[in-house]
Amino acid sequence: MHQTVTGKPPIFQAAQIVKIEKRHREYIYMALDSPYIALNALPGQFVMIKLPDADDLILPRPFDIVTADSAKGEIELVIKITGKGTHRLSHKKPGELLLLTGPLGRGITDFTGDSSIGLLVRGVGAAAVVLLANRAKEKGIKVVTFLSASTKERLVCREYLEPLSHTVFIATDDGTEGYRGNAWEMLDSFLDKTALDQIYTCGSRRFARHIKKLDSEGKTRGFVFLEGFMACGMGDCHGCAVKKAKEEGYFLVCQDGPVFPVGVVEIKS
Amino acid sequence: MSDLSVTIAGVRLPNPVMPASGTYDYSERHDNFFSPAELGAVVNKTIFLNHKPGNKPPRVYEAPCGMLNAIGIPTAGVKDFIENTLPLMRGYGVPVIVSIAGNTSEEFCKLAEIITETGKADMLELNLSCPNLNEGVEWARDKKLLYDIVKLISESTTLPVIAKLSPMVTDIAEMGLIAEEAGASALAVFNTYRGMVIDINTMKPVLGNIAGGLSGPAIHPLAVYSVYSTYKRVSIPIIGMGGIASWKDAVEFILAGATAVAVGMYNFVNPMIMIEVIEGMSRYLHEKGISNIRDIVGKAHR
Repeated sequence: MHQTVTGKPPIFQAAQIVKIEKRHREYIYMALDSPYIALNALPGQFVMIKLPDADDLILPRPFDIVTADSAKGEIELVIKITGKGTHRLSHKKPGELLLLTGPLGRGITDFTGDSSIGLLVRGVGAAAVVLLANRAKEKGIKVVTFLSASTKERLVCREYLEPLSHTVFIATDDGTEGYRGNAWEMLDSFLDKTALDQIYTCGSRRFARHIKKLDSEGKTRGFVFLEGFMACGMGDCHGCAVKKAKEEGYFLVCQDGPVFPVGVVEIKS
Repeated sequence: MSDLSVTIAGVRLPNPVMPASGTYDYSERHDNFFSPAELGAVVNKTIFLNHKPGNKPPRVYEAPCGMLNAIGIPTAGVKDFIENTLPLMRGYGVPVIVSIAGNTSEEFCKLAEIITETGKADMLELNLSCPNLNEGVEWARDKKLLYDIVKLISESTTLPVIAKLSPMVTDIAEMGLIAEEAGASALAVFNTYRGMVIDINTMKPVLGNIAGGLSGPAIHPLAVYSVYSTYKRVSIPIIGMGGIASWKDAVEFILAGATAVAVGMYNFVNPMIMIEVIEGMSRYLHEKGISNIRDIVGKAHR
C-alpha cells in the first residue's frame, strides 16, 4: 500500500535555530525548535523557510523534513547551499529565528502489506527519504538504500540512513567511495536476487526515469519525490505545476505531491 | 475601536482588506492561520467558462523584491466553481466578489450571467488584464475594447461590476474613467506588469510562458501612484493593490484614494498577512484618533 494524506494543517511561526553546522562546505545541517511540526510531520512532507530579515529574498523556499522528534519538539533539515538565500542561511547562529511554515505537502501514511522498500537517492535528494526510512523501520519494514553522489563528500544523510537501513549500497561517479558508477546498476543486481515491494527515488531525473521503467515492467512499484518552483507551498499560488503523464493538465507538487506514483507524472529528460 | 467598514457599490465590507484574485484559495490548509470570515470580502482565483489547464512550468520565479508569475489561470470552469468553491465563499458571511474572465465578449457575458443567476455573488470583478494569456484578449489595454466589454457586461448583470485595470497603459486614470463611463461600479487598480527573467546559463527565458506578471513590493510605489492619479479622475470607488507587504503599505493606498485594498503575493510569504494588515490599520486609526477609515480615503490629496 502507498497512501498519502494532507495531514494536519500547517502553522506559520518564528522558529528558533537550535543547532546549525556546515559540512563539506556545501551542506547545512540544522535543527529547529518546532513542537507542532515535530509532532505532526509525515514522511514526504516539507516546510517553507524564509529569512526574517531579508526582504530582497522575498519568497520562502521548500525544504524536506529530515527528522521529526516529537519528544524534543525539534525537526532537522539538511540543505544544500546553492544560492543567495541558502548562503545567507549558512551564516545563521543557534538562537536566531527563521520564519517557518509547515508541515506541507501530502504525507505517506500507509505501508500495510509491504515487507520491503528501496530508496534510490542522489545528492541532497537523500534528505527527502530519511523520515520515510524512519517510519518504515518503526513498522518493521526492511529498508534497502542506494545512496549516490558525484563524489564522497556529497553523500548526504548517510549518517541518518545507515542506522535505519538493512543495507546501504553506495555509489559515486568518481569512485571515491563505494561502487564507481550508476547506483541503479547496484539496484538492478539487487533486484535480480531480492524483490522490493516499493522503490522511492529522489534527486535525479535519470533515477526517476529508471524507476519508471522498472515500474512499467512490473518489477516494483515506483514513487518519485518531485520539486518545483513554488511561492507558497500550500496550493494558493498554483506555481509548482508538473505535467500529468496519462492525461491533459498538471498536478501541483505542493498540493498533490511531493511524492507521486512514478507512472502518473511526466519525467523530463 | 475605529470603524473599519467601507462601502463599495452599495455593498458593505466589514473592513477594507481582501485577497487579490489568484493568491488565496479557500482550503483547510489555512485553518491554523485565520478564517476568511475575518476579511472584508472574499475573492476567488479568476474563473473562465470552461476548463483550462494553465501554463507550462516553470510558472513562478523570484525577482528583486517581488515575483514573476505566469500561472495562466488554470480553471476547472464555472460548473465546478459553482458546485465547490462558491458555496464555501458564501459560507463565510462576508461579501463575495467573483472574479471572471473570458476570451470573447460572448463567453465573458455568458459567465457573468451564470454567476449572477446563482444569487450567491455580491459583485463581479472583471479580470480584463491578465498578462499571461497567450490567446487571451488584453481588454484593459485598449480604450475601445475596455469600454465595450465593461458596457456589455454591466448591462447584462444586476451585480455591481469591478473593472480590473492593467498598469501597462499610457494613462491608467483615463482607462479608469473609460471603465466608469461604460458602467463599472468600482475599479481594481491594478494587475501585474509583464516582465521576464533570462537564465544566463541556459540562455533561455526562465518561465515556461517566457514572460510573466511582476508583483510584490517592487511595484508598490507604482501602484500607489496609479491609485492616486486615478482617484483624481473618477468618482467610483477604487480597490488598491500591488505589493502590500504590511499594514503601512495598505494605509498608503487608502490615503492615495483607495476605498479598499487587496493583498496579493505577500499571502505566499506570510500566510497571516491579511489579518496583520487589518489589525495594523485598526491600531493606526486608533493612535491617530481617527474614528472612521472612510475619513482618510484620498487624504493625501488634501
